Amino acid sequence: MRHRVLILEPHDDVRMLLELSMERLGYEPVAPADGGPGKIDAVVLEPSWTLGRKILKRLGDAIPPVVCLSIFPREAGFAPPESVAYLTKPSSLQELGDALRTACAC
Amino acid sequence: MVTILALAGLAATFGLMLGLRATETLGAVAFAPWVGLIGFDAGVVAGVLTAAASTGLWLLASSHEGTHVAAVQALVPIAYLALLGVGTAVAGRRLHASERAHRSFAALQSALIDATLDGICLTDREGNVLILNAPLRRLSLDLGLPLVGTVPEQLLAIAPRMVDPERYRRRMAELAESKGESTSDEFELAGTGRVFRGFTAPVSDASGRFAGRIWTLREVTADRELDRMRDAFVATVSHELRTPLTSISGFLEMMEDEEEGLGETGRTYLDVIRRSTDRLHHLVEDLLLVAQIEAHRVELEYGILDLAELAQVCVDAFRATAGEKDVKLVLVGDRPSPISGDRRRLTQVLDNLVSNAVKFTEDGGTITVSITTNGDWATCVVADTGVGIPSDEQGQIFSRFFRASTATQRAIPGTGLGLAISRALVEQHGGTISLESREGEGTRVTMTLPAQQPEEGTHAVGA
Repeated sequence: MRHRVLILEPHDDVRMLLELSMERLGYEPVAPADGGPGKIDAVVLEPSWTLGRKILKRLGDAIPPVVCLSIFPREAGFAPPESVAYLTKPSSLQELGDALRTACAC
Repeated sequence: MVTILALAGLAATFGLMLGLRATETLGAVAFAPWVGLIGFDAGVVAGVLTAAASTGLWLLASSHEGTHVAAVQALVPIAYLALLGVGTAVAGRRLHASERAHRSFAALQSALIDATLDGICLTDREGNVLILNAPLRRLSLDLGLPLVGTVPEQLLAIAPRMVDPERYRRRMAELAESKGESTSDEFELAGTGRVFRGFTAPVSDASGRFAGRIWTLREVTADRELDRMRDAFVATVSHELRTPLTSISGFLEMMEDEEEGLGETGRTYLDVIRRSTDRLHHLVEDLLLVAQIEAHRVELEYGILDLAELAQVCVDAFRATAGEKDVKLVLVGDRPSPISGDRRRLTQVLDNLVSNAVKFTEDGGTITVSITTNGDWATCVVADTGVGIPSDEQGQIFSRFFRASTATQRAIPGTGLGLAISRALVEQHGGTISLESREGEGTRVTMTLPAQQPEEGTHAVGA
């Protein structure tokens, strides 16, 4: 059973890249639209994206661990409290893999 | 003109009183203007006239017969007095004119220094105010300067009103000690956002001895605001560049598995894309780092490091690039040189220095990186035999976005950020960086860092 990772990224190209990356790393990518019911194990979020943060909040009490992947540094202060890892773009596949392992272990 | 007319009138009057013939009176009247014209020095004119007139009158009187003689002789002292009066009046007027010219020049000078935007002040050796212009009086009010005591005392008194009063005090103390140097700095008035730039330099008297100091003060709030806007713009653009950069480098990574099927040409193209992407990535990171440095948001992760080892890693990394250009890259000094610093940031500084040396050294040249430790300081010198920097540009070489003409003329790529970043990072470590260069001969960059200071380390990054 693969871990399900919700991808909250505003740019289509980057979202496509992240979905491919999830497949490569052995995770199941989940888009906000098809999130529906079902457990989400981790979130990859562009924290500077306001809509993305709203979608995250809608998950209510069950917000899973968040991996921030941002164009801004951590000091910009966008990261939600649920963040367990913070990466700045562009990050390598390996960095993303390491961060997701940390998130899914939480 | 008035002087000439007065003299002519006087001569005519004397002629009449003496009962001279019309021709003789005319002669005296004709003589008078010449005295007036040549008598540039009013005192001399008065003296010459007095002597000449006394003698002339005496002779004239003696040459007349009869009753006029006694009367004329009695007139001599009166003539003397009259001429003295004229002389004094002339002298007075001339003196007055020269004083007036002097005063009007002084007024012009004062108007000049009052009309500038900068506050200007001249102090004596002890720091007492000699001249203070109008803008500085206004700025003094804004800053709340006490206006009593010497200028250094006044400046020290407002330290609590400054952002970072300690740094301000330290700078003022340095200033008090360095009588012979010119220096400038910026400081911000706390709670107002107003930024001021002060400059001071020694002033010498005619014999070249230290006579006092000139102080200038300028409000640079608008300039700094412009800088902030530019930095914000650069930061925004750079952040936005990260999005396409993420796609490019991410999909390049995905391509690695497909590379085998591409054939040689395809792989060459892919290498070019990869190199360009790396360059773009570095450029974006440099731009963002500069913005962070400006905003004082760079935090250093201190650890105990060996500067010699960092230099070794750096030299090894650049050896291939240098070799391609047939440039010899030598590391001198094999003793460990322990320092306390941020490994990532200092590696970045060394990379900048060595990368510059490689870029600006032409085929067949030599680059020497030497590491020495001397008491409290560890020093790294990067010397090359490259194109050098013209002497008139060396003052700006550490400024952001500045590129030497020797670089732009040869179309050597760069952003003009490397040295600005290096200096900021080295100074944040408590170190210094300086540069010597001769155009066509080479450049030598010297970086000093405080040798290991254990109390500074928060968490060791590892050596």
